[in-house]
Amino acid sequence: MGSDFEPKILVLATLACAYPGADAVGKAHLEYPANVSILRVPSPVLFPEDFYLRAFARGIDGILIASCGSDCPYTGAYDKLSRRIDGLVHKMKEGGLEIERMRLTAICTVCIKAFLNEVNQMDRKLREIGPANREIASRLWQASLRELQAGAVAEPVRSAS
Amino acid sequence: MTEQEQGAAQQPESEKPRIGVYICRCGGNISDVVDTEALAKQVQSLGDVATCKVETFMCSDPGQATIVEDIQKQGLNRVVVASCSPFLHELTFRTAVQRGGLNPYLYEHVNIREQDSWVHKHDPAGATAKALRMISAAVGKLHHVEQLERIRLGNHRQALVVGGGIAGLKAAVELAGKGIPVILVEQSPQLGGRVASLARTFPGEIEGPEFVHKLADQVTGHPLIRVFRRARVESVSGFVGNFDVRIAVESQPGASEPPDGHGQAAPAEAQEFHASVGTIIMATGSDPYTPARGEYGFAEQPAVVTLPDFLRQLADTPDGEFRWNGRPVRNVGFLHCVGSRQVDGVNPPQPDGKINDYCSRYCCTAILQQALTLKQRFPAVNVFDFYQDIRTYGRGREDYYTKSSAAGVVFLRFHGDEPPVVEPGENGSALKVRVKDWLTFGEEVEVPLDLLVLGVGMVPHAIPELIDRLKLPVGADRFLQEVHPKLRPVETAVNGVLLAGTAQAPMDIEETFSAAGAAAVKAAILLSRDVVELDPFVAEVDAEKCNGCERCLEECAYTGALLKETVEIDGETVVKARVNPGLCFGCGACVAICPTRAIDLKGWTLDQFDAMVDGLIEAVPVAG
Repeated sequence: MGSDFEPKILVLATLACAYPGADAVGKAHLEYPANVSILRVPSPVLFPEDFYLRAFARGIDGILIASCGSDCPYTGAYDKLSRRIDGLVHKMKEGGLEIERMRLTAICTVCIKAFLNEVNQMDRKLREIGPANREIASRLWQASLRELQAGAVAEPVRSAS
Repeated sequence: MTEQEQGAAQQPESEKPRIGVYICRCGGNISDVVDTEALAKQVQSLGDVATCKVETFMCSDPGQATIVEDIQKQGLNRVVVASCSPFLHELTFRTAVQRGGLNPYLYEHVNIREQDSWVHKHDPAGATAKALRMISAAVGKLHHVEQLERIRLGNHRQALVVGGGIAGLKAAVELAGKGIPVILVEQSPQLGGRVASLARTFPGEIEGPEFVHKLADQVTGHPLIRVFRRARVESVSGFVGNFDVRIAVESQPGASEPPDGHGQAAPAEAQEFHASVGTIIMATGSDPYTPARGEYGFAEQPAVVTLPDFLRQLADTPDGEFRWNGRPVRNVGFLHCVGSRQVDGVNPPQPDGKINDYCSRYCCTAILQQALTLKQRFPAVNVFDFYQDIRTYGRGREDYYTKSSAAGVVFLRFHGDEPPVVEPGENGSALKVRVKDWLTFGEEVEVPLDLLVLGVGMVPHAIPELIDRLKLPVGADRFLQEVHPKLRPVETAVNGVLLAGTAQAPMDIEETFSAAGAAAVKAAILLSRDVVELDPFVAEVDAEKCNGCERCLEECAYTGALLKETVEIDGETVVKARVNPGLCFGCGACVAICPTRAIDLKGWTLDQFDAMVDGLIEAVPVAG
C-alpha cells in the first residue's frame, strides 16, 4: 500500500479509565498520529456487533476499544464486551475482513505508554494492510443486523463451570 | 410570549437545529498548533451550524457570556464548545447553555487540547483536520439529541459513618450539630480508635485517652447520633441519597461494660439492623505498619520495637533508671521511615508486590516527641536518631526538633538506597546498627544500642468487602482515593461516599480533624435537600418498539434496574421492559442485545454514536 494512505482510526475510550488515560498522554505532551480520533463512552458494552461493522463499512479502517479491562466499574460488563468482540473478530475472519482492524485493550487513567503503544501499533499495521474493504464490511454489517433482528444472536458462550 | 416562542420553549428538539460552535484558543495552548481561524471557516460549512466563533478563553466570563448571548439573540438551540478535556469544563458550558435558556443536555463538548493540540504538536495540519473531524462528529451527534431531565429521587437525610476513631467521631459530631441524624458503626468495643491508645499527642502533649473522651462524650451524649459498637457494615447497596445498609452487631456473652463509659456491653445475641442513609463517610482509618520478620531485626531481636509499642511502654515506665523488660538501657536508637518511603529494589516488597513509597507524615514529629520525652525523663540515656530526611512540619512542631537537638539527641543521616543494618550486639549491647552517615560525608558508623525503636508508617486498615461492595476507588498506595486531591479532596468517585481521615492517606490528628470536618460539611450539603439529582444518563425503553422478549432482563447485572411490566394495548395484554432509573447504572449492556433497538442510553444513544462516526468520516479536511 502506498505511503499516502491515511488510515482512519477510531478509539472508543471509557469515561472511567481510557479517556482520562488519553488525556494523560496530552498532559505529558507526548505525540501520536493525528488520524486517531477518540470518542468517549460510558462502557463499550453498549455497542452491538453491527455498530463496529457499520463503522468499517462507512469508512473507518481500524477500531481500538480502549476499555477499563478488569477495572470496569460496571458489573460483568467487561466479560460481556470481550465475548462480543471475540464473536465479532471470528465473523470478520470468516468474512474476510482483517482482524487486526479490531482490537480490544485496557487502558488505565495513567497508562500513557500503553495508549501510545496501542495507537501506534494499529496505525503501523493499518498502513501496511490498507483501507478496509467496504463491501465486505457492508455485507457483514447487514448480516449482523439481520441476525440481531431475528433475535437469533448466538447465546454468549458461558464458562464450562 | 408569542406563539412561536411558546412552541420553541415546549419543543425545541423538534425544531431544525441551529448550532453554535465555539472554538477556544486556550491562550495559545490550542491555537499555537491548531489553525483555529481556518478551522472556524470550515466548521461554518457543516450542516446546520448557525454561527462559529473563536475565543481566547471560552471558560472565561466573557467567553461564557458569548454563548448565553448568542443563544438568546441568534436563537441557537444546540451548542458545541471545542476546548480542553470535558473533565475540566463540560459542566461549565452545560451551565452556560442553561443560563442561555436551553436544556443543558443540548450541548456537546469537544476535546481539542489534551487529545489534539497537545498530542500533535509537530503536525499542525493534521491537528487542524482532526479538530474539524471531532467538531463534525459533535455536530452530527447534536442532530440526534433531545432534552434530558436530571433524575430526581428521594433523599434519606441521614448519614452513615463507618469507623469510630477520631475522624468518625468528629464527622458524626459535626453532622449532628447540623441537625442531621448519624449512624456510627465501630468494629471494636471502644470508641476513639488509634488515638485512644496514644500516651501523648502532638502538638499540645494532650494524652490520647483524654482527648478521645471529650470527643466520645459529645458523640454518645448526642440524641441524633446512634452508635453501634462491635459492629460492622454487613452489606451496603444503593446510591447517593438511597443507600441501604445492614449493620451486624456481634455478640459476646459475658463481656462487661468497659470502665470508661465509652464502651458498650455486647448484646447476648448477635443483632442486625437495617438503615437507609443518604451519604456514607468512610472513616475506617489506618494501622501501624508491621515490619516483616527480620526487617531491621524486628521479631528476631527482642530489643527492636515499633514506635506505638514504645510509646505505650514508655508511658508506663516509672522515673529513675530507664529499664526495658527488666534490663537497664543506656543507648536508644530511633529509625525513621520504616514501611514508608521505601525504595524499589532496596526494600523488600509488601505481600502484594508493591513497596510503600509514600511518606507517612506523622512519624518525624512523633519520633522526635518521644526522643525528647525520653531525654527529659532519663537524661542519662543516649539517644540516636537515624533518618533520611526530617520534617517536623506544622505550627509549633519545629520545637520538637530544636529541643531534641539541644537535649543532645545524636542525628545520623542515611540514604534511602543504603538503609541502616541492624545486627546482634557485642560487649553487652543488645544490638549494633551499622549506617553510612551522610552528615559526616559517608562515614561508616557502628552504634551499639540497647533498644531500637522503629518509626513505623501508616498503612490503610484493610476493608476489602466495603471496597468491593461500594466499588470504592483505591490508589496505588492502597489508601482510598479522592476524586481530585485539590478540587474535591474528600469526595470519592462513588457519588455520596466521602472520606475522613487516614483511610484516605497518612494524616496527623490535626489533618484528620480538618478532613473529617470537610467530609461532614460535604455530607451536610448532600443531605440538605429532600431530593437528590442524578445524571440522566440511564437506559430508557421505547415501549412502542419493545417486543417483550425479556433479553434485556437477562443481560442486566443490576437487580431491579430493569423491570417486566404487563400492559394492556388494544385489549391485549403484552409484556414490556421498563427501566428503574434510580437503580440503572447506565452501562448499556441491555442496549447492545435488544433485537428491536428499543433500548438506548440517554445521552449516549446508538444513533448518536453512528452520527459521530459519520461526522468523523465525512468532515472535509481544511485546505492548506
